[in-house]
Amino acid sequence: MKNALKAIVIKDLRGITANRQLFAMILIVPIVLAVVLPSAFVLVSHFLPEEMGELGRLLDKIPGLAGLGQRELSLVINYLIPVFFLLIPVMASSVMAASAFVGEKEKQTLETLLYSPLSLKEIFRAKVLAAFALGMLVSALSFGLMLVVMELLIWLLKGVFVWPNLNWLVVLLLMAPALSLIAITLIVRLSAKAKSVMEAQQAGGFMVLPLVMLAAGQFTGVLVLSVWLLLALGLAAMALALFLLSRAMRRFSYEKLLQ
Amino acid sequence: MQAIITEKLSKTYPGGKEAVRDLDLSLGEGEVFGFLGPNGAGKTTAVKLLTGLLAPSGGQSRVMGLDPVTQVEALHALSGVVTEHAQMYDHLTGTENLRFFGEVFGLSQEEARERALDLMGQMHLEDAQDRPLGTYSTGMRQRLSLARALMHRPRMLFLDEPTSGLDPESTLHVNRIIRTLAREEGTTVFLCTHQLRYAQEVCSQYGLISNGELMAQGSLEALRERVLPGLRLMIRASGMPEGSAHTRVAEGLYELALQSEAEIPALIRQVVRSGGDVYQVTPIKPSLEDIYFALTGGQEAQP
Repeated sequence: MKNALKAIVIKDLRGITANRQLFAMILIVPIVLAVVLPSAFVLVSHFLPEEMGELGRLLDKIPGLAGLGQRELSLVINYLIPVFFLLIPVMASSVMAASAFVGEKEKQTLETLLYSPLSLKEIFRAKVLAAFALGMLVSALSFGLMLVVMELLIWLLKGVFVWPNLNWLVVLLLMAPALSLIAITLIVRLSAKAKSVMEAQQAGGFMVLPLVMLAAGQFTGVLVLSVWLLLALGLAAMALALFLLSRAMRRFSYEKLLQ
Repeated sequence: MQAIITEKLSKTYPGGKEAVRDLDLSLGEGEVFGFLGPNGAGKTTAVKLLTGLLAPSGGQSRVMGLDPVTQVEALHALSGVVTEHAQMYDHLTGTENLRFFGEVFGLSQEEARERALDLMGQMHLEDAQDRPLGTYSTGMRQRLSLARALMHRPRMLFLDEPTSGLDPESTLHVNRIIRTLAREEGTTVFLCTHQLRYAQEVCSQYGLISNGELMAQGSLEALRERVLPGLRLMIRASGMPEGSAHTRVAEGLYELALQSEAEIPALIRQVVRSGGDVYQVTPIKPSLEDIYFALTGGQEAQP
């Protein structure tokens, strides 16, 4: 990678840790989604009495929560949690992308960067790469943390280990990168117009979250059906991500960025 | 080679505001060019057009032989730009900022480190080099911006109000740096300011702009010649001869308008011959301010 692009990626990643508010968000969301929520699922499925009346019937309807056995725990880990887990790369990449594009505009540092000998495409590439790298890094760390906490918890409760299956491989290597890239391109598109990071994040949230929720509703079904279907869906998402990415720069010009 | 040439360069913003109209400029290499006019005259727009950040709505330009519209990256590689809207990162220290921008401009990490330290010294910022930029005063920020623009040793320097917010001492210091760059390294400087007196101290060529239109361009002598030819003479004497075309400013102080300096000796002889004692003779040439106001006041020499 060109020295200059590397400098921008490193500077952007460092910038996130310098901003307490953003850094807190990037820390808290993964902890909730990868540790608190999965632990809650496991604990509920363990301590829930057989007869729960209304609540029990409601929970029965959620795939994976129906029973208490090892098979059911496997359902929770491999079919339910991945859906929530996918919000982590989307969130981390969106926060970073909003900060990397609109943040620079807001702090009047974008113009300084535009006076550099890098083309708009190269600057764009460095920023996308920084957001993507953060999304993947946070996802990988979250997965590691989740695995440790989950296995420990299940082992303490049941005395066994329930391992993640192939679904996770597709989720981590295909779905997470694809959704992260889609989120980044959407934010970048918005950020050319947005006047503040807050505005971009809000607009991004409004756009990204419903999409993810919509997908998530259907997604659990897909996960239960087959890993091949999941793989096909992942490939489709990746294709969409790359298509959006290649088009995201088209309407950019110095003049538009600085407006 | 001409450093900057523009032909009928114009910019009308989408809202319909005509910021620059039919700008014809020509500027040699190694000059310090003062682009002068009040706020809102079109100076910043001109800088953005010349650095490729704005697309012209008419006309064309060449900067160091490059077209800012189609060869913008190559142009940026040999230009440094300081404007009020080109800030740096508050959470990084002064040196970290310089090193970052040095690397973005293609310097290796080692080169960027050395150059940053060198420039921090030149700008008298050594004491603040490890402090976050957020703690810098306006004047320090301005000097750091100049250092940032010089990191990659540009051949062309665009400075938009480089001394705004600087105290008199820092202003002198920045002036010295600008003059040295032009004289010793042959850097061409395009300096925008509304402070005409300041410009007169540092520039070798001038362009006067008002409402997006260039009113006059040239050296101070050339501008005087064209806009306000002649000079004023202040004489402190015990008396003036009858019939001379003078104005009495105060007791023993007289002002006269002359066509050229060649008229002075004869005038003094005349005063002495008529019995007057001469204590002081001060020729006053029109300043840049006089010229600017003569032009905007709608007097004779319109381009």
